[in-house]
Amino acid sequence: MNNGPRDVAKTAFLSRILRGILTVWAVVTLTFVTFNVLPSDPARLVAGPQARPEDVARIRVEIGANLPPVARYARFLGRLIHLGPKADASEREGHRDCTMLGRLHLDLGRSYTQRRAVLTVLAERLPRTAMLAAMALLFQVLFGVLSGVFAARYAGSLLERVIVRGSLLGVSVPTFLIGLGLQYVFAHRLHWFPLDGFGQTASEHVLSTVLPALTLGIYGFAYYTRLTRDEVGRELLADYIRTARAKGASEARVLWVHALRNAVLPLVTLVGLDLAALLGGAVVTETLFRFPGLGLLSSTALFDRDAPILLGTVLVASLTVTIATLATDLLVRVADPRTK
Amino acid sequence: MHSRILAKSGSTLGRPAAWLTHFYACCIVLLASGCSQKLTPPIPAAHPEEETPRRGGILELASSGDIRSLDPATIGDGIAPQIIHQIFAGLLDYDDKGTLRGDLAEKWEVLDEGLRYRFTLKQGVRFHDGGELTANDVKRSMERALSPKTPNPSRSFYAMIAGMAELEKGPTANLEGVQVVGTHVLDIRLTSKDATFLPVMALESIRPVCKSAGANYRADFVPCGTGPFRFVAWERGQRVVLRRNEAYFHPGQPYLDGVHFNFATSYVAQRLKFEEGKQDLLREFLQPDLLRFQHDPAWIPFGEFEAAKQMAGEGMNVEMAPFDNIEVRRAVASAINREQYALVKPSVMRALDGPIPHGVSGYDPALQCQKYDLAAARDHMRKAGFAYDEQTGKGGYPKTIAYYTYAQALPEFTAQLLQQQLAQIGIRIELRMTSYAAWLALSHRRNTAPLSYQGWSMDYSDPNDFLEPIFHSNAINDEDSNNSSFYRNPQFDGLIDAAHGELNPAARKGLYDRALRLLCDDAPWAFTYSVRFYNLRQPYVRGYHSHPMWTYELTRTWLDRSSSNESSRSALFAPARVLPRESFR
Repeated sequence: MNNGPRDVAKTAFLSRILRGILTVWAVVTLTFVTFNVLPSDPARLVAGPQARPEDVARIRVEIGANLPPVARYARFLGRLIHLGPKADASEREGHRDCTMLGRLHLDLGRSYTQRRAVLTVLAERLPRTAMLAAMALLFQVLFGVLSGVFAARYAGSLLERVIVRGSLLGVSVPTFLIGLGLQYVFAHRLHWFPLDGFGQTASEHVLSTVLPALTLGIYGFAYYTRLTRDEVGRELLADYIRTARAKGASEARVLWVHALRNAVLPLVTLVGLDLAALLGGAVVTETLFRFPGLGLLSSTALFDRDAPILLGTVLVASLTVTIATLATDLLVRVADPRTK
Repeated sequence: MHSRILAKSGSTLGRPAAWLTHFYACCIVLLASGCSQKLTPPIPAAHPEEETPRRGGILELASSGDIRSLDPATIGDGIAPQIIHQIFAGLLDYDDKGTLRGDLAEKWEVLDEGLRYRFTLKQGVRFHDGGELTANDVKRSMERALSPKTPNPSRSFYAMIAGMAELEKGPTANLEGVQVVGTHVLDIRLTSKDATFLPVMALESIRPVCKSAGANYRADFVPCGTGPFRFVAWERGQRVVLRRNEAYFHPGQPYLDGVHFNFATSYVAQRLKFEEGKQDLLREFLQPDLLRFQHDPAWIPFGEFEAAKQMAGEGMNVEMAPFDNIEVRRAVASAINREQYALVKPSVMRALDGPIPHGVSGYDPALQCQKYDLAAARDHMRKAGFAYDEQTGKGGYPKTIAYYTYAQALPEFTAQLLQQQLAQIGIRIELRMTSYAAWLALSHRRNTAPLSYQGWSMDYSDPNDFLEPIFHSNAINDEDSNNSSFYRNPQFDGLIDAAHGELNPAARKGLYDRALRLLCDDAPWAFTYSVRFYNLRQPYVRGYHSHPMWTYELTRTWLDRSSSNESSRSALFAPARVLPRESFR
């Protein structure tokens, strides 16, 4: 029974979660169907293009690709989350690829090509992609908001035109070209950062992430610049800004406190979605910089028709987008009482 | 978005902001193109006059691909063998001329008229974990690799060994045909005489693995063998680290302290690293870069071609119209100008008129297989009932034929050439460009692809490898048919079967010559070109030459770098140019 606005909000939130779960299921199922409709044989790709048919047939059985698609789908869903023996019996047959929370098991299967648990592979890659996403986002937001605010403040000036044209170029130039340029200048010529790879130590990891993050950041930075300029520019024309100025507020306070605070809501939404998109992996950037994250993993899996890995990366990507969307909505509700 | 930018900038040309946009764009284009405009001079050897190898240094290698496994029993990609060859030694190996020789085996004897082979192992050979290699280890490693429970993609290469059928059926894990005769003596019995036995015994798949690997395949296998380098680390998606095996059974070798194999490195990154001295050999090039290196006098002495071990052709499905008509197949084989094909990428492609590439044992330049002859091609079309008048463009085969190939590789370009060349004899083809995986499935499926790009790479250096797996009727399947043209000729099959069991080289060559003539005339494929890689080394990489069989043979390679150019390898802020240009001119 509905007892008030709080219950309505709770119901709405639960409904959003349910829809989120349905979305993830739909995306994963669609990936599975698409994968099976494509004319290809994963066993042939595992065995190699020249393997003899009898060897391909044996490998087909080993990876389970001999089963009909419906049986494979049922097996995938059946073992995704299931109950099994406790962790101390982890070597028990049939649960070797599981990640366990007591008797609750999570199992995405075994990679056809790497012959390792998909969850192990994802656990290796996800933190790296998360680091890349965080650094790229930091760059986008920090420099995008700064330049957007300046562009709004100095609207009509040469500075604004430089910023706006620069940002237009940022969104227009293909990512691979930006990456190549950064590699050439900052790695090959100046030797400030490694050309590619991920290094071995923590400091090398960070240094190796800078150029890929900049590559992604330049693209996103342009969007933040233009969005911030438009939003702050609109706020600067509002009545309350005139009032603040009339009351003697400094120009910096007007700009950074009053105008920016009110312009920030669309940015919050964008940050949430961007973070989710970046966590799904950046295929071109990761490939260019040999960055061992989810993007490189998913593109290799697609080429190799490694269905378990591909489904795992799609699951991670759709989950992050769903969670980020939910979190962003919550954040916006908290930040803006009008949306409650 | 791009068209909008162009339209807008066109209308505002001359305004400062528009000018800035053009300026930025030009900067980026120049930057990108600047990457490949000029070659950096080679980094010279520190002691070019010395010939005595020096020990030390890490050799840096790179590839654009990645590996899946370092278990010799489960090789499924083209790069892993390059590393596995360094970690694991085999009973047999190939010398620099491509001749089989003993490696772990001190000698081998052919007994019982070729039905039994006796291998005597070298004594005192140690695995990387310190254990001594015995005949039991060879048998255990073979049983591990050939067990039906092991996902070994090349298991069927060893079907001639007695006991393989029983091993397949189970439950026995004993490969009865491999018998330990003494601590260092091993007999291998075959079910029938087989000329491919010795070549496949040199392959990586069955090379001895340490006792710690056990008797059964496990996915968490730690690479451990008797090869020149021992395994240290595999950073997945990044690199494999190897260090010298100090107890290697060829005394004094290898000279290198270690080798790093880097993966997933783009061609551009490889070139930049090579210029900086952070990569020591270069094997993958962007086409413009390759041409520049091949024509730069400073670099010419340090480059060489590998043997051509891959061949390509246009596969015609003999079960589908119009290629069920032998005259149409002959017409296609005659209409293809192979010299033009080779111009698509002349730096690595060579015209090839038969199935055996130039660098594989059994290639015979005297044996002319298929010949470009446009008049003959039109005559074959006429005999097939599809006469074509080149003046009016009338006649020819009335339907458009689907041609299957895949994008982003040489076949994408040769497909267009094929389309133009076949149009000259009245065969019109429609290009169906798919992904590699889809091409692999469709072009090897029965009654699906009438005409398709096909290729084959050397598994082992023997003419059999380019004939039996792709043209014998035993290789026909409804799906995944290695015989992708579904060619069936009992006479050809008989000759191949006879050659397979013929141990006399001269008699064997005679059988293959007859089989080749049949194949060339029946034309299930129009053979087109072979591919060879170009290898470029830094001058300080000494004692390295491309090997006729292996991609990297590093036991006699040594590094001769000066301390100044060594420093460039790791210094983050080091200057890009290690030595001034004048120092080696």
